[in-house]
Amino acid sequence: MLQTQEVGYWYKNEDEFLYKNVNLTFQRGKMYAILGASGSGKTTFLSLIAGLDLPKAGEILYNEESLKKIGLRNYRKNDVSIIFQAYNLLPYMSALDNVLTAMSISSSKQADKKTYALENLANVGIDEVLATKNVTQLSGGQQQRVAIVRALCCDHELIVADEPTGNLDEKTSKEIVQLFQKVAHEQQKCIIIVTHEQEVANACDAVYELKNQRFELVK
Amino acid sequence: MNFIKRAALSMKAKKGRTFLLCAVFSAILIFVLAGLTIQSAAITATENAKKSVGASVTLSANREAAMKKSQDSTTSTKPDPGSFSLTPVSLADAQKIAALDNVKSYSFLASSSAGAGDGITPISTDSESETTTSSTSNNEQAVNEGDEQARGDGQMGGGPMAMQQQSDFQVSGVMDLSMLSDFSDGIAEITSGEAISEDDVETNNVVIEQTLAEANELNVGDTFKVTDPEDETKTYELTIKGIYKTSENGDSMGMQFNFLNPANTLYTSYTFANTLKGDDATGTIDSASYTLSDPKAMDTFVASAEKLIDTDSFSLQTNDQAYQQMLQPLNNVASFAKNIVILVAVAGVIILTLIVMMTIRERRYEIGVLLSLGESRFKVVLQFFSEIIICMVVALVIATFSGNIVGNVVGEQLINQQSQSAQQTETNQGQPDKMGGDGQQRQGGPGGAMGRIGASSVEAAEAIQELNISVQPKEIALLAGLGILISFFSIVLSSVGILRLQPKKILTT
Repeated sequence: MLQTQEVGYWYKNEDEFLYKNVNLTFQRGKMYAILGASGSGKTTFLSLIAGLDLPKAGEILYNEESLKKIGLRNYRKNDVSIIFQAYNLLPYMSALDNVLTAMSISSSKQADKKTYALENLANVGIDEVLATKNVTQLSGGQQQRVAIVRALCCDHELIVADEPTGNLDEKTSKEIVQLFQKVAHEQQKCIIIVTHEQEVANACDAVYELKNQRFELVK
Repeated sequence: MNFIKRAALSMKAKKGRTFLLCAVFSAILIFVLAGLTIQSAAITATENAKKSVGASVTLSANREAAMKKSQDSTTSTKPDPGSFSLTPVSLADAQKIAALDNVKSYSFLASSSAGAGDGITPISTDSESETTTSSTSNNEQAVNEGDEQARGDGQMGGGPMAMQQQSDFQVSGVMDLSMLSDFSDGIAEITSGEAISEDDVETNNVVIEQTLAEANELNVGDTFKVTDPEDETKTYELTIKGIYKTSENGDSMGMQFNFLNPANTLYTSYTFANTLKGDDATGTIDSASYTLSDPKAMDTFVASAEKLIDTDSFSLQTNDQAYQQMLQPLNNVASFAKNIVILVAVAGVIILTLIVMMTIRERRYEIGVLLSLGESRFKVVLQFFSEIIICMVVALVIATFSGNIVGNVVGEQLINQQSQSAQQTETNQGQPDKMGGDGQQRQGGPGGAMGRIGASSVEAAEAIQELNISVQPKEIALLAGLGILISFFSIVLSSVGILRLQPKKILTT
């Protein structure tokens, strides 16, 4: 489904690359974890596979088609959902409006978008009262859950998440991981999670570790 | 349409920013609307001015050509005054020109003189009577010679200066008395009876001055006799059709010569004035004046009219001075209003662009999130544009209700300035006196009193005062268009920043 072919990335000088010749494959129906120390380039890699940036070297293929050809905006709009570590919700909207906005941008085919969004929000513990509140009035954990639901509701085949459980308590964190597993296995979606939490990594079907500028399959 | 919903939500959440944008936009639109209404009012006033004033064209003998002809006919270096002659205007030619398009009204003039007959005595002083009846021989001779020259071979006899020794009355033969500027300006007015009109052609009806009527105990319907200027034994009986009074005081010359006294002016039909001039003057007039309905088409009218006349003998003198006088302050106001519109619009674009640019800097994060969700940059720009447009609509409503007030205040000040300026200019230039400009025509020129036919500066002043500033739907529509244009430019200029933004950079910083 998603392949990286000889992908390399660096900021200023090629000599100071974050990684080079990365060849990874991600498949539908599986949940992947990318582990690595802080500053190792996990989030940068995530931004490449999320279509927020292009690699300096190599290519990323989605369904065997280059992201350059698909177009980064089209790729983000139609194929990939991103869950940011900092939630990145629109602060002037309610939780529900944030989800509906994302669904609208991604041209979601859901007949009743509002009901679908409210159901998904309820699944992560955000009831209708909370859902209609401005997101700035919600706690960090609640905002993270809203960000997760926003990604799930777009019904994209690929979901990339940057530390999605970083702001959640242990119980909620487990619930979210279980939800990801369910979505990946039952809905045949590909979920790639950048994390430094071993527990989250353990729940994934495959784990890559970014170490010494190389990706190693550790599980 | 998701971007519109986002725009509405954003505006609702950021009330302070929305209020600021509405306030700034309102200020811009109020001044633009004020400019537009003033400009529109000035244009309307100009149109009205055209309709009310028109422009006049006078057909008369070509004095310049006659003078040249006089010079050519003599061998000496200085012209022989005796050889100077003017060909009277053919009535038929004058009527052909009157039939041309764009003629709003026209009038003919033939001036002559007459002596007092039975039933009337001119207004005069004792010494004046002496002067008129027993003038010095040298003077009399000189004037009689000039008079004879003027009357010979069918010339334009009857210039007032030519009749100063023997005539008691100046006879102004007109076609429509009300067209004379003395009457249209209110200097003279009919106090009883009726004015001379086209119906009086070929009649001996006359309109006389009130003082003259009172002194001779004459009323409307009464008759009196005047003598022929060439043959005192020949008399004509005139019937008083109307009596007028004039506020014109005359001048020192009027104290010495009866016919120059404004009270001794008799208004008759041009046909009667011709009768006094003799048989040679039949079918002729001194001049004809045409008031045009559209001053802009004056050149076309003159070109058409010149094809109908012998331009070596006759000339067409255009006079749109009143129109031009009226136009100048109105044009100044319109021009100033246009400048207001342009300046405020440009300033508006700059101010709004800066505000939107500042707003965009604050909203980089929001833009980054939207772009990361796959939203197109164009729709992000459209969202900001929608926000500006919503503010513009609010501002438009505010401007519609307050633009009228501002427009009137600014417009009133402008008009006052222009009126004062116009009055000052007129004062500096001096009032037209009897012997200069307008007066020249009165004093024996071919136009004679006809030169006074047409518009006056009084009408110009009225038009300036009458500037009606009010907000019309047309201005609101224009304002909305300008508002959209201002919004568009401010957003386009600001969106350069949006187009350059990369979601990764925004979200990672």
